Amino acid sequence: MVLQLTDQGIIERSKSMPAFPKVVTEIIATLDDDGATLGALVHHVERDPVITARVLSIANSAAMAGHSGSDVHDVRKAVSLIGLQKIREITLAVSLAEFAHGCRLASYFWEHSVAVGICALELARFTHQPSGYALVAGLLHDIGQLWMAHFHPLEFQMVRSAVSCGTEGINDIERRYFGVDHCHIGRLLATHWGLPPAVVDAIYFHHDPDQGLGESLVAITHVAEVLSNALDLTGRDGNMVANMSAAACEKLGIDWSQDLGPLFGRIEARTEYACRVFR
Amino acid sequence: MNYHLRYLPLPDVTEGMVLGAPLSIAEKGVISFSLPEGHSLTETNLQQMKIRHAEFVCVREEDTRSDDERANAWAQTEARLQRIFRAADLRQPVMANLYEAVRAYRRT
Repeated sequence: MVLQLTDQGIIERSKSMPAFPKVVTEIIATLDDDGATLGALVHHVERDPVITARVLSIANSAAMAGHSGSDVHDVRKAVSLIGLQKIREITLAVSLAEFAHGCRLASYFWEHSVAVGICALELARFTHQPSGYALVAGLLHDIGQLWMAHFHPLEFQMVRSAVSCGTEGINDIERRYFGVDHCHIGRLLATHWGLPPAVVDAIYFHHDPDQGLGESLVAITHVAEVLSNALDLTGRDGNMVANMSAAACEKLGIDWSQDLGPLFGRIEARTEYACRVFR
Repeated sequence: MNYHLRYLPLPDVTEGMVLGAPLSIAEKGVISFSLPEGHSLTETNLQQMKIRHAEFVCVREEDTRSDDERANAWAQTEARLQRIFRAADLRQPVMANLYEAVRAYRRT
């Protein structure tokens, strides 16, 4: 029996999920404004004591281990020691981890999201594409699955079982149970939360990027998810690679025959570390 | 002597490990710290890397396994790779190239 979901119904029900972290949309809104973000970032982060505590904890363990000085006790000092960009990345990841945790989502979902986020960030840097939204797009690319798992856990589990047993694409299987796929739901949620159009497109087109290649973030997010599975970053039995868009690779200028060991190694090491921090 | 390369998060790197690739850390576009391939890491090096917020290091490790053990490990790695790519059409150049890129990386 296919669920009868409407776009309006999906949005309405999302309001009973934990609130999407405001700090994420606030950071995204200032990503292109390096000169103005230090004070704003500190202000946004410090409004939430849970996020502040986690950011400082990670900042201490990630960057200050063995450093001969006192611990980092405030966000401003963390920024001055570790750098704005890293604190921004940590804050985004921490905020979204708290959100996923609040949705009572299985840890593998979050680990996969982190893996794709790091892949997207590294791919953007490697291919000299703008990397501002890459981490966010990677972290949020499967946000539609979070909605599915939260409101229809039984159907969601049946989809996952079907994916791991066969070779049929996940979107086709989801449409059999839900009537829509997670990319469609993800686009609705991302639009509703006011995320930038580039991120909305990356979420919507990440399984079928050829329609959205006007936006390089679409290609980055698509290739990042394929690569995260190819490298078996989460080590899950269900990791599978079926298709990768040649046009997306061409858009990014990736030559798979060159030595990609350093890129793959960086992605593996950073993902392993990040998953350890957020576990 | 056989060696293999591993990319490790910095907290897993210890004194005495040997760099498998040159290390250079840039701060604001300027290289502020570098070490050559083959360098044996000291405690001071590790501190310097931590201060500069390095996240990972490529190290070269001696592979002490026998030929049989290596062959068995490779067979398992290749079987896992084939399982991950079970639904991929490797006649498509882009899929074949990705498969080979990951396979080559696993060989190092």
